[in-house]
Amino acid sequence: MKTSLQRIAIVFTKEVVDNLRDRRSLISSLASTLIGPILILLMVIILGKTLWRDQTENKLKLQVVGAENAPTLILYLEQNNVEIIPGPDDPETAVRNGDANVVLVIPAAYGDEFEHGRPAAIKLVADSSRQSAFADIQRTNDLLENYRKVIGSLRLMARGISPAVTEVLAIENVDVSTPQTQVLIFLNMMPYFIIMVIFIGGMHVIVDATAGERERGSLEPLLINPVNRSEFVIGKLLASIPFAILSVFVTLLAFALSFNAFPIEEYIGFPMSIDIHALIGIFFISLPMIFLASAIQMIVTSFTRSYKEAQTYTGFLPLVPALPGLALAFVAVKPTLWMMMIPTFGQQILINQMMRGEPIDPLNILVSTVSTTLAAVACIFVAIRLYQQERLLFGSK
Amino acid sequence: MIQVENLHKSFGKVTALAGVSFSAPDGQITGLLGPNGAGKTTCLRILYTLLNPDQGWAKIDSLDTAENILEVQGHIGALPESHGLYPRLTTRENIRYYGQLHSLRGAELEKRIDRLIQLLDMQDIELRRTDGFSSGQRVKVAIARALIHQPQNVLLDEPTNGLDVMSTRSMRTFIRNLRDEGKCVLISSHIMQEISALCDNIVILNRGEVVAVGTPEDILSKTGKTDLEDAFVSAIGSEEGLER
Repeated sequence: MKTSLQRIAIVFTKEVVDNLRDRRSLISSLASTLIGPILILLMVIILGKTLWRDQTENKLKLQVVGAENAPTLILYLEQNNVEIIPGPDDPETAVRNGDANVVLVIPAAYGDEFEHGRPAAIKLVADSSRQSAFADIQRTNDLLENYRKVIGSLRLMARGISPAVTEVLAIENVDVSTPQTQVLIFLNMMPYFIIMVIFIGGMHVIVDATAGERERGSLEPLLINPVNRSEFVIGKLLASIPFAILSVFVTLLAFALSFNAFPIEEYIGFPMSIDIHALIGIFFISLPMIFLASAIQMIVTSFTRSYKEAQTYTGFLPLVPALPGLALAFVAVKPTLWMMMIPTFGQQILINQMMRGEPIDPLNILVSTVSTTLAAVACIFVAIRLYQQERLLFGSK
Repeated sequence: MIQVENLHKSFGKVTALAGVSFSAPDGQITGLLGPNGAGKTTCLRILYTLLNPDQGWAKIDSLDTAENILEVQGHIGALPESHGLYPRLTTRENIRYYGQLHSLRGAELEKRIDRLIQLLDMQDIELRRTDGFSSGQRVKVAIARALIHQPQNVLLDEPTNGLDVMSTRSMRTFIRNLRDEGKCVLISSHIMQEISALCDNIVILNRGEVVAVGTPEDILSKTGKTDLEDAFVSAIGSEEGLER
């Protein structure tokens, strides 16, 4: 037992030293861990800017056709921080071409209808599919609606009726989403990127220590040394773990820096940060997944003949667990015990919960950790069986 | 001491060995001679525990290669067909890794590495990473790491393959020295000159079977030829065997 552990330690140390010297793989693997944080930061900034930036402080430039037909309405708009610009001759084409966000069209009959207390027709031309016009459309609508209410109330009062009569419902909108939770939609993609990093972080070590050995022709002499195959498998597998852990750590650090040190507020108009405690929790929750990823990669590389072949297969691997995680970003899931029993899926739900700052059931952490660890152990046993076969020497045939 | 008895081994439909028996005593160099595909490498792979025979047995110092795997591995030093090095490790580190796997440690291990580096004349490449080494330098490192645990039995699969004349000569001297130390040396080759220059005993393999055994003189007298190459062709039955 003692000599067995010593041999595992020798294999482990050699692989770690060897792979630390492989600067190119090391740097490219660490660089790829930054993709997730950078991508999410960019998405938050770009969409945050167009969707949520408070626009009331700016003057709304509104193109109006026939402004002279409704002087009181125009006056009302101007009092509410709107700059009236003469509208184009063909409002619909102008909006379609993107020359204008919204065009208000006031027909000549407006004055007559307004005076006689009939509904005065006006037209609002807009393209609701254009995200960047969303704020302008919303604001114009709100202003017009407000004007309608004010004039309507005045008319009722002039006839001796309380305006409250027409208020069937008194709706109070309570939006519990803070700007933070709205942007969190993007942070929900974090589990996806963490899974990718877990699989990529130690991949080059596993590939080098298995398919790489075979390709270099160093596998055959290595196997002649008095070491059990299980010791080789465990030593090589363990050697990938520090690299994968480092990658996860770097990713989480990049998330922390990009959302806590980067001046996001200047871009999206409100402060936003990621709780450091949540990141620490995510780090520990990810550990069993790292073992599982390395074990699965050991299995796959047992039959790949070359470095290239091994990289092709192991490159696809993370998609299997990561795709359900990606779906989690858009569908709210209430964690149940059976979900926690699915290796890697439970962790992804827990990561999402931690990001949202929701209370977490310790039982869920326990169940997901145990199930993923068991899956990893099972995979390690399969890998050992595969490495005991004669065909290991030749790769798949 | 190596003993092989009635070895059979097939890969799917291909029969690599069909009842091979021979023995290689200590203090002698035994040559496994045969055309490509005769089963030399398969035979050696069974001897260094990487393959299990379908039938028959192989023993190293009376230890069965299919059963006492770790012990057998401690008794042999092997230069297999492929003997890749770790390009990011230095010569010394490559040798040290194998020494550690053989449970050698510390000063004793370093002393042995020093000795092998001197013996194989590798002082100039001792601290260099093995990336970009010539084939001669590679073989030297591969031999040094295979012999770090001072095994009694040395198995070399085509040891001078791809070496230039000078490297080949020094390799032969090195192999003879191993014999003079009393080791059991088993070499495989498809090159006649190689075998005739080195070996005390010759085992000629063809299509997975032993077709002739004995000293070079024995084989000449048995086949009635004066030239070992003619004897070889005669022993394997046809010119065709050479081309396979």
